[in-house]
Amino acid sequence: MARIADIDIPAPVVAAARSGDAAALEAVYHATAGPVYTLLRRLVRRPAIAEELLQETFVDVLEHIDAFEGRCPLAAWVRSIAVNRALMYLRSPWHRSLEWLDKDPGGADRLPAIDSGALTDEDAGLERALMTLPALTRAVVWLHDVEGFTHSEIGTALGRTPSFSKSQLSRAHARLRNLLGAEATLAEGTTCTPA
Amino acid sequence: MHAGMNEWDGRLAALADFDPPVDGWAAVLAARRQRESRLTMRWPAALAAVVLTAALGLGWWLQSAQRELATASLPAPTAYALASAGIRAENERLEWMLATLPERHAMRGSTAFTLAELEDRLALLDDHLSRVNLEPNAPERAERLWRERVDLMHSLVQVRYADAIGTR
Repeated sequence: MARIADIDIPAPVVAAARSGDAAALEAVYHATAGPVYTLLRRLVRRPAIAEELLQETFVDVLEHIDAFEGRCPLAAWVRSIAVNRALMYLRSPWHRSLEWLDKDPGGADRLPAIDSGALTDEDAGLERALMTLPALTRAVVWLHDVEGFTHSEIGTALGRTPSFSKSQLSRAHARLRNLLGAEATLAEGTTCTPA
Repeated sequence: MHAGMNEWDGRLAALADFDPPVDGWAAVLAARRQRESRLTMRWPAALAAVVLTAALGLGWWLQSAQRELATASLPAPTAYALASAGIRAENERLEWMLATLPERHAMRGSTAFTLAELEDRLALLDDHLSRVNLEPNAPERAERLWRERVDLMHSLVQVRYADAIGTR
């Protein structure tokens, strides 16, 4: 998956979108909606919430496109709106109450199962491990490792210091390693061997 | 722009994409119309809210001014600011210590569980800290949360340190 900021939107389309041209704005949507939706799914987990945030992101784009100054690629600007929307949601009481409801008393997660039909075992394991990280930690991992944010940019987005981002990332990597290691051990232990 | 490559960049980027909802663009246009109509209907209520807020703000300002006049001779309350700066400095020191400890690729299950618990509690605290400015008694509550964070960081550093020493 390419980074959202690297999505190339032709200059004439950008210019037309900035002037409010409906067809150009729709073209911008079709060019960026998939990667932006993937980003939102990684950050907020719940498909319904991610869809709502996607919608809100593009409503913001429509309303504020005249404020886009062209100092960065248009796709990066769209991404920044989506990230802000997702982080606002993650800080909201609504999100915290849903996180609480997602946990059974026994600790089992009640989120919809990941559709792993198209995934390799390794990818499915990584997907599951990623989803066990706390929301803000997962956001740090995804923004840094996939979207290429610097620790300074993540710190700014989260209202924290760059060192907060660094420590979160370091701990998240260690935890992913542990979880994936445990999963591999479990898989080895359950392998059927001929009697 | 990218801070640096690590072993996870490629693996995470290679995970499958999600498909956005079908007819998403139509839904965006509908949501925009809905937002516009809400704004149009809301302006009288918003105006009333502004007037009410201004009145309450004026009342609060008058009360504060009276209190300030009554306590003008007292020394400035700098103790909180100093204490907070100390707590934050300690917190940064612990973050630095944690970052310098060697990372483990494998550890005992009980240690991993303890670390995960501590990290979860830290993440929850950080979440509270990000919102604490909006709450009443924000300075006192923030200080209490920072103290809790320092305690948790101490525990985390101790567990990580003990684990690192134990493997040599």
